[in-house]
Amino acid sequence: MIAAAVYFFGAVAALATLLMLFQREPVKAAMLMLTALLATAGIYLALSAQLLAALQIILYAGAIMTLFIVALTVLPQAWRDHPEKKPFLKVLGLAAAAIILTELVKVSAVLKTVLRSTDFSETGALALAQQLFGRFAFQFELLSLVILASIVAAVALAAKRRPA
Amino acid sequence: MSAYNLASLAFLLFALAAAGFLTCGSLVRMLMFLELMLNAANIALVALNPLPASQAYAVMIFAIAAAEAGVGLAILITLSANFKTLQAGNIKELKG
Repeated sequence: MIAAAVYFFGAVAALATLLMLFQREPVKAAMLMLTALLATAGIYLALSAQLLAALQIILYAGAIMTLFIVALTVLPQAWRDHPEKKPFLKVLGLAAAAIILTELVKVSAVLKTVLRSTDFSETGALALAQQLFGRFAFQFELLSLVILASIVAAVALAAKRRPA
Repeated sequence: MSAYNLASLAFLLFALAAAGFLTCGSLVRMLMFLELMLNAANIALVALNPLPASQAYAVMIFAIAAAEAGVGLAILITLSANFKTLQAGNIKELKG
């Protein structure tokens, strides 16, 4: 049952990504990306990572998607983004992806013997918080620096230059 | 369900997103596919290890993805103001 759910959501995510490749309207492509991200939240739910599923919806499907929609709205050039029909290029890209996939699957063949236990133990918010504020506290605090740096960079890049 | 199947699922999503990243010419779409690639890496991280530590890493990658999207879109706004285009093929000049 759990395996079926994981495969179903995985198939939805893969299909949405594939359709996104051939979608010419930017907003429809963004909606397909949203489908893929929500399907990923479904995979997390099936793997008993409830908190991650909620964070995936809030952060990816909420914040990052909103950012993309805003970018599509404020950038007039993005609306004119109708890629020319180059089916050859798409086939070439899919062939490259097939090569990447074959290599990755071949490398991970050692995992065939490792069984992921099907009785997924639920990881609650408490266990996650103990990791984030205990064992990984330093890394977690460093992340806040990363986000601060990205805010400063985004403001510095996007702000209008005032003549000195 | 073996770890191999779960890893293959994550690899499939990663490869499809990489194909999109390689073929689409528009910078906004490239950023979207970049997010999907990070997303696939996150799935592999969560699916392959049931320990809470792997989920803690996944939470950190969420934050990195959000920061990356913010900076990426700011760069796109600057590029569109300077070059009046968002097609990667049309941006050819460097300012030295």
